[in-house]
Amino acid sequence: MSVIAVAGVSGRKPDEAPLQGRIGLVDYLVVLAQLGLLLVLLRQFQIESGAFLRLATLAFAGFALHALLPLRWRLPFFALLSLAGIGVVMGPQNAAWLVGLGLLLIGICHLPLPFVWRGVLLLGAAAVLALQRAGHLPFPWSDAIWPILGAMFMFRLIVYFYDLRHDNTPATPAQPLAYFFMLPNACFPLFPVVDYKTFRRNYFDDDAYRIYQTGIEWMVRGVTHLILYRIVYYYLTLAPHEVADPAQLTQYLVSNFLLYLRVSGLFHLIIGMLYLFGFRLPETHNRFLLASSFTDFWRRINIYWKDFMQKVFYYPAVFRLRKLGTEKALVIATLYVFLMTWFLHAWQWFWLRGTALLVLQDMLFWAILGVLVVANSLYEMKHGRTRSLGKPAARSWRDTAVLIGKTYATFWFICVLWSFWTAESLQGWFAMWGALGGRYTPQVLIFPALILAVVVIGSIPGDSLRNVRGSAQNERAWQRTRLATLASMVALVAVSVEDLHSRFGTQVATFVHSLRSGQLSRLDTARLERGYYESLLSVDRFNSQLWEVYMNKPKNWLDVDNSNLKHFVGGFVQTELIPNFVRSTRFGTISINRHGMRDQDYEPLPAPGTFRAAVLGASSVMGWGVGDGETFEALVEERLNREWAGQGFARYELLNLGVPGYQPPQQLAAMERALALAPDAVFYVATGREITRAVAYLAEVAHKGIPIPYPELAEIVRRAGVTQGMDETTARRQLAPHGTEVLTRVYGRIAGQARERGLSTVLVFLPQAREGAWQEETPETLAIAAAAGFTVLDFTDVYREHPIESIRLAPWDDHPNAYAHRLVAERLFAGLQATRDTVFRPAAQARGQQ
Amino acid sequence: METGIDFAREVKQYILDEFLPGENPDDLTDDLPLISGGIIDSIATLKMVLHFEERYGIVLEAHEADKEHLDTIRDIAALLASKAG
Repeated sequence: MSVIAVAGVSGRKPDEAPLQGRIGLVDYLVVLAQLGLLLVLLRQFQIESGAFLRLATLAFAGFALHALLPLRWRLPFFALLSLAGIGVVMGPQNAAWLVGLGLLLIGICHLPLPFVWRGVLLLGAAAVLALQRAGHLPFPWSDAIWPILGAMFMFRLIVYFYDLRHDNTPATPAQPLAYFFMLPNACFPLFPVVDYKTFRRNYFDDDAYRIYQTGIEWMVRGVTHLILYRIVYYYLTLAPHEVADPAQLTQYLVSNFLLYLRVSGLFHLIIGMLYLFGFRLPETHNRFLLASSFTDFWRRINIYWKDFMQKVFYYPAVFRLRKLGTEKALVIATLYVFLMTWFLHAWQWFWLRGTALLVLQDMLFWAILGVLVVANSLYEMKHGRTRSLGKPAARSWRDTAVLIGKTYATFWFICVLWSFWTAESLQGWFAMWGALGGRYTPQVLIFPALILAVVVIGSIPGDSLRNVRGSAQNERAWQRTRLATLASMVALVAVSVEDLHSRFGTQVATFVHSLRSGQLSRLDTARLERGYYESLLSVDRFNSQLWEVYMNKPKNWLDVDNSNLKHFVGGFVQTELIPNFVRSTRFGTISINRHGMRDQDYEPLPAPGTFRAAVLGASSVMGWGVGDGETFEALVEERLNREWAGQGFARYELLNLGVPGYQPPQQLAAMERALALAPDAVFYVATGREITRAVAYLAEVAHKGIPIPYPELAEIVRRAGVTQGMDETTARRQLAPHGTEVLTRVYGRIAGQARERGLSTVLVFLPQAREGAWQEETPETLAIAAAAGFTVLDFTDVYREHPIESIRLAPWDDHPNAYAHRLVAERLFAGLQATRDTVFRPAAQARGQQ
Repeated sequence: METGIDFAREVKQYILDEFLPGENPDDLTDDLPLISGGIIDSIATLKMVLHFEERYGIVLEAHEADKEHLDTIRDIAALLASKAG
């Protein structure tokens, strides 16, 4: 493509007649056909949420009408469509509150008052809303509107107010409405900070067909990024304690950084959709993996953020400080930008989550990046940097090699910095580097070689001019891009068709199936589970998808949390339920009896003729999220007494010893409590990943220096080289090879203690109320239990045939709900019926009955 | 105040000398997008602004350092002319 040709049409001349946004019939139909295909693609790959699919359908249908309207009607139509989109996603009541609050904020900007007073009023309104968001003031609307209200106004209001001050171009009422409530925003709390001036200035400033086609191209690019993200998210990510050698360390670093493809994908979808309505906004995320310096990285990775910071903070600071000298002004202004970036990320998190974000790693990350960018900027200020007019540059081999070297080094440095930023703890991050002392295998070259290949290919000179109008592009390049977009869509849709991909075998089908769903990865599922019982700082830093799940979680979910349900008792078990605790929750009452059990009151010893079983387990046994009497334990006990009373035993008692967050080794302490209550049987309820969780708990107590009172477990810890006070990442890594043995010892001790007393033992396996892989340890767990002497009741399929929404509490809490407890109760009763001889006969025989 | 200056020519020459040495002057047209096209960045913009302020004895405001005023040689020339006029 000739740059001269570009220059000839790339800027609108003052005397040029405004483009009318017209499109020919054939082009219009071509665009509609592609949007239809894109809709299929979004559906097939379940891109984002069901709400997004509805919104996309509305947007594409709206486009069909919008493109035919006279230009002057289009912006008001887009504003109305955007408002309708909010209604579609949030429901009419929430939408009305959101729009009302938004109009109030926009209205304040336009009050007939001096600018300063309007600013003061805006700050006052923001302060009241912030107090409400933090829960210090009541509000009549739903929690659900906060993230979207925040996403629409927390940054754009700053830009809008700034432009009101400096730009006297008359605005129509539709412009601010379209700007703040812009259509895709209803679905996306993370949204690019669109510049108001650019939003207005670039509106239909090019051939309409080219604008629409670019929008489609970027949306397809967004979908591609999101699919690539899923490959990384499901198949490549590792937890720090899983990093055992240099090869895994490189995998960890690269995959952790590549999770950012999700943001890049979403931003492409958002901006692409806005193109359908004539907003020719800047391209987002310009090949950020190929940045060749820190300043280059800052310029490429989130262009909208960079432009926002530059406009509102950098230039005002640097212009004000220029009397100090250019270099000093540049240094101070750049550091100021990074300080504000850190602060505004915390500000963003506050509006999305309602909590403060003050994490040392976060501050250090922005400080380090800021210093690196300053150093790089000073270098560029003094020595300049290579710029071109966008044509493929004829570089020497030496220059190309230097560029590749710089890009490669920048990529790895950013990977390391990113891993630091997203690590759950500094200690864990430092411990992870111990993997460098692990075994070096040829696999260590896989990721470095892969990245090098990408960098080399990316360094091939090409047109580098960004944001050129479509009409200014070379016709052949334009056709090539259009064809590539269409081919990508057809190929992706074809891949998603089950009849086609299943022909390539089970493995391929499973792989494609995983890419077609937006569930949490195994690591995020583990984090979600941990998050029930402890505060997860890493979730406060936009790690992958989990933070979105958290964002929707209402404050005081369940009205009771772990901290006031349990108390610290010291020793190996650390915590127990608080005796005599009673609290009303939105799911019913939670009552803890005098023995510290979530159950009715029982005498310390069973009455004669009573069959008593102790039920050991964690939150699903205790009944997290269901009311008293709704747990499967209570339901089975009631049924046993209703249907079996008098048949062998006068009465049946199931004692609920479940404690939220208990891991397998803690059940040894629960077993001791159970034995004191003289049961006839012990039911141990396992819920998946028993081996991993057993290891994690031993690592935790070793780290905390808590003595392990079980000699066989203490011996394993000693053999693994785990010492008291060792960081958990290293301890987990060293204990992992001994996981099977740990669980064998735990189950063996419980079964042995039961055997000594003539008690029957049952292991009930419950699946998690969640989608995705979580049962990878189940066969081994069941085998260990059977070998230890447990009667195994495997309920792996108890939730099969039931949609996930019908059995779990909420997307952010996948404990079984009351309905799921009923399903489990039915299966457990049937299971006990089938094993009646094994489970109940020993007790009957001990009492001399038949 | 200096009058009759061909701002467009001077701006173009400055950009060529300072940021695009070796590029063909014919390729740098008056309407080529410089900021939005990624040809000049914030550091280059800053250098350019300081140079023109000194060269023409004018003062530019922070909010003028944007694409609306500085994206093309035509835009820059118009801004300088309005300030110097």
